[in-house]
Amino acid sequence: MKLKFSCQPFRVIIALSLILFYSGIASAASPTALPDPDRIRYKPLSFEPPRAQRLRLENGLVLYILPDKELPLVKIKVVVRTGSMYDPSGREGVAELTASMMGTGGIAGMSGDAVDETLESIAAAFHASVNRDSGSLSFSVLKKDLDRGFDLFSRILTQPSFEEIKLTLAKDLKLEELRRIVDDPQKLAFREFGRLIHQGSPRGRVTTSASIRSIQRDDLLLCHKLFYHPENVMISISGDIDIPEAKLLIERYLGGWKSSERKPETPPLPRQQDGGIYFLTKDIPQSIAIFGWLAPAKRDAQFYPFEVLDFIVGSGGFRSRIFQEIRTNLGLAYSTGSFYNARGDYGLFGAYAMTKSASTVKVISRIEEILREVGRKPVSPEELEGAKKAILNSFIFSFTSSEKIASQQLMIAYEDLPEDHLLTYRSKIDHVNAADIRETAKRLNPERAILLIVGNDDVYREVASKLGKVTRIEANF
Amino acid sequence: MLFTALGILFLLPLLLPSPLFSYDLAEKVQTFTFKNGLRLLMLERHLSPTVAIYIRYRAGAVDEADGKTGTAHLLEHMMFKGTRTIGTRNYAAEKKIQLRIERVGTALDREKAKGKAAHSPLVAHLTDQLTVLQKEQRRFILSNEIDRLYSENGAVGLNASTGQDLTTYQVSIPANRIELWARIEADRMVHPVFREFYTERDVVMEERRQRSESDPDGKLIESYLAAAFISHPYRRPILGWPSDMSNLDIASMTKFFRSRHAPNNTVIAMVGDLQPSTALKIVEKYFSQIPAQTLASAPITEEQRQSGERRVEVIFDAEPQMILGYHKPPPPDFADYIFDVMESILTKGRTSRLFKTLVQEKGLAESIQAANGLPGSRYPNQFVIFATPRHPHTLGELEQAIDREIEKLQREPVSESELEKVKNQIRADFIRGLDSNAGLAGMLSYYEALLGDYRYLAQYTATIDRITTDDIMQAARTYFTTENRTVATLTRKR
Repeated sequence: MKLKFSCQPFRVIIALSLILFYSGIASAASPTALPDPDRIRYKPLSFEPPRAQRLRLENGLVLYILPDKELPLVKIKVVVRTGSMYDPSGREGVAELTASMMGTGGIAGMSGDAVDETLESIAAAFHASVNRDSGSLSFSVLKKDLDRGFDLFSRILTQPSFEEIKLTLAKDLKLEELRRIVDDPQKLAFREFGRLIHQGSPRGRVTTSASIRSIQRDDLLLCHKLFYHPENVMISISGDIDIPEAKLLIERYLGGWKSSERKPETPPLPRQQDGGIYFLTKDIPQSIAIFGWLAPAKRDAQFYPFEVLDFIVGSGGFRSRIFQEIRTNLGLAYSTGSFYNARGDYGLFGAYAMTKSASTVKVISRIEEILREVGRKPVSPEELEGAKKAILNSFIFSFTSSEKIASQQLMIAYEDLPEDHLLTYRSKIDHVNAADIRETAKRLNPERAILLIVGNDDVYREVASKLGKVTRIEANF
Repeated sequence: MLFTALGILFLLPLLLPSPLFSYDLAEKVQTFTFKNGLRLLMLERHLSPTVAIYIRYRAGAVDEADGKTGTAHLLEHMMFKGTRTIGTRNYAAEKKIQLRIERVGTALDREKAKGKAAHSPLVAHLTDQLTVLQKEQRRFILSNEIDRLYSENGAVGLNASTGQDLTTYQVSIPANRIELWARIEADRMVHPVFREFYTERDVVMEERRQRSESDPDGKLIESYLAAAFISHPYRRPILGWPSDMSNLDIASMTKFFRSRHAPNNTVIAMVGDLQPSTALKIVEKYFSQIPAQTLASAPITEEQRQSGERRVEVIFDAEPQMILGYHKPPPPDFADYIFDVMESILTKGRTSRLFKTLVQEKGLAESIQAANGLPGSRYPNQFVIFATPRHPHTLGELEQAIDREIEKLQREPVSESELEKVKNQIRADFIRGLDSNAGLAGMLSYYEALLGDYRYLAQYTATIDRITTDDIMQAARTYFTTENRTVATLTRKR
C-alpha cells in the first residue's frame, strides 16, 4: 500500500514534465518504448593500436619505445628477471629489500638522502617491487626534467650502493610489517595460501623476522649484480619523447652498462601437490576460505579455455557462478569469486570467499559443488557466448594508454610468448568450445585443491567434524 | 561500494593543476544542462576507442535520517538489481510477489525488533513465508542482468561507491556502446526494482564484517569519527550501524531514492573517444524527459564548535595504531587549500617532515599518513594523521613527536624551497591524473557535483600559488589546537 501511495505524486510529475519538455525531442522514447538492451545496434569499431619500436643495444639491453605527446610526462618501466624464488635459503627477503632499497639506499657518489631530495625536487615518481617470479621498477618524470631524471634513474638502476644505515632502517620497517601481517586477515590468508600452494618449491618460502635479520649488505650487492644487468632486464619508455631522443638518452646513460657473467639457476617450476585442508586460527567473526590449484601457463594451449572457464566460474562479474550463488543468491559474502594468474611458464587458479563464521562450511561446500559441476557438465551455450563476448569486447581496454601498449609488447617478449600473441588471442578465445572448457575444468577437483581456511575456534570445530582431515597450521613470522 | 575495499571515505582527490593544463582542461570540457536540471560534462580524448562515464548523485550517507544509517549504501547495491524492463521475465507478475515480499519482510523485521519479547512461532512462520516468496520470485528474475549487459558489451571497471557526500556509478565502455549505457542508466534512474532486497542486506552485513569488525583500521576510523563529530551526521559510518542495517526496509529506501536520485541532483561526466554532438543526442533521448524532483531539504544538524580535546580508545587484538585530527572548513574555503599543502609538507614522500623525523631519524613510526578532508567535503570536515608505532615504541612517544612537528609548523615558517617542492609535487601528480579517461571523468564529476562547478580545478592552481609560508603558520595556529583535537588509539587488552 505504502509503495503505491508514494508512486502517485511521481506519476503526476511525469505527466507535467512531458508537457513542459516535449518540444524538440521528437525521437524521445517513453519508458514503455525503451529498446531491448540486447538489440541495440552499434556501429563497428575499428582500431589499430600504435606499436612501440623495439631496440636492442650492443650490451644486450632490449627496449620498447612508444612516443605519445598528450601530456608532458615520460614513463619508464623496467622488468627484471629476479624474484623471491631466488632468495638464498635462510635469507628470504633479499630480492625484496634489494628492490626497495634501490634509490633510497643511495647510489655511487650520492647518499640516499640526496637521492630522495633530488627525486622529490623534480616531482619524479619512482616505485620498485618484487614478487615470487619477477621484479619491476617504474619511473615517471616531467618532460622538462627528463635529462636529469633519466640520469638519476639510470644510476639507481645500475649503481645502487645500499647504505648500511638505510639497510638497517629498511630491515626494521620490514620486521614491523611482519609483526602486523597477522592483524590483517586478508594479508595473512594470502601469505599463507601462497606458501601452501608453492610447498616444496623455492616460491613457497616466506620472509620471516629471522630471515630478515640475517640479511647483510653483501647479499643485496650480490642480488643486484646477478639480476640487474642488461641481458636480464627489459625496459619500456613511453610518453613525451621522440625515438631519436630516447635512443640518445639510452646510449648515453645505459650504453656502458655491462652484463653479468654469472647466470643464476632458475628454480624448477612448482608442481601440483596432493590436496589438503589447512586451518589457521584467528579470532575473527568472518572466515576467509581460499581454494587453489596450479593452472595452465600462457604458453600452454589450455590457457585459452581456462581463461573462459575462470570467467564463467568466478571472475566474470556478478553472473559468474560463484559470485551469483554465494553472494547474490545466498547473501553469504561480500567478497567472493575466482582468480587466474597465468605467467609464461605456469599459472595459478584460486577461488575464495569471506563469510561469517556460522556459514563457513556451507560456503565451502557450495564452492566445491560449483567446481565439480563445471568439470562434469558442459557450460550452456549462453554462458559460453556471454563469456567470450565479454572477453573479446573488453580486449580494447588493453590499449588505452601508450604506457600499457609498450609494456604489453615488452611482456610478450619477456614471457617468451609468440610475437603474434595479441593478434591471435582473440581468435583463440573465439574458438574455445564447451568441450574444451569441461576438459580443462577437470583439473579443478576439490579433492586435489589446497584449501586454506582462516577462522575462529568454532569454525575449526565445525570444519574438522564436517570436512574431513584438517591440518592446523601456524603462521611463521 | 559495490566491491573492493575502502570507498570514497579515503578517496579525496588532491588536485593541483599547473596553469597551462588547467586552462586547457577548462577549454576542452563541454557542458550541457538539460531542462530537468541534469548536468552533462563531456571531454574528448581519442587515444583509444573507449569512453569512461561517471554518474554522481549529490546524495550520500550524510543525507540519511538517524536510525536509517546505511540506506544510501544499500541503495547503491540495490541499483544493480535491475529495472521494470531489465532483470525480469515478466514484471507485471513479478511485481505482485515483490510487494508481498516487502510486506512479509517488514512484518518479520518488526517482530524481530521486539527482541526477547518477539513471538518466535510468528518469526518462524514469517521466515518460512519469506523464503517461499523469494523462491517464487526467482522464477521471474534474470539476476544480475545489468552486470551481464555491461560485461558482454565489453565494459570494464563497472562499479559504484557511496560516500558521505555523493553516490557514484561508474563504468568504461567501448566507444560505440554509449547508447547501451544510456539505456541502462536512464532506466535505473527512474524505475529501479529492489528485487533480492533481503539477501543483499545480508551481503552488506558481510561487507561490514569484512571492513570493520575483522579489520583494526576500519574499527579505529569508525570510532574516531564517532568521537570527532557529536551532532553532525559525519559521525556515522557509511555502511551504517549494525542494528540500523539489519532493519533497513524497502519503503524508506524508496523514499530516499525518490527524493535524491533525481536528474536535478545529478552530474554525468563522459571522457574519451566521443563526438559531443552524437553523445549529447543519446543522453537527450534517454534522460531529458526524466522528471525533475522536489529534492529533500531537511536541514543537516550542524556540528558545534569543539571545546576540549576528545580521546577514544578501541581495544582490539592487533598491534597499536592511532588517529589524530582537527576540525577545519571544507572546500572551497581558502583554509582547505592550505590544509592540502600541509598534508604534503607533513607526509608526502620520503622528504616530508613526519616521514623524515618519525620514520627515518627517530625510528618511532612504521607508517605515518596525513589526509585532508575526512570523512567528506560537503560540510566542515577533518584533517587527520594516521600513525603506527614501530615496536617497542609506544603510541605516547609517537603522539609527542607528532606534537613537536605540529608546534614547529605553528612556530616557524616553512622555507620557500620546501613550499615550492610541495607545490611542484602536487602539480605533477595532477598531470599524472590526466592520463586516464576514468580519472578525468571522476575528477570532473566530483567537483561539479560537490561544489557545483568543475572549474574549481582550473582555479585551484592560482589559489594554491597564493599560499604563503605565513598562511601556513596562521592556519596551523588557528586549527591545530588541543581543544580542537580528537585522538583515537587502538591497543590490545591490558
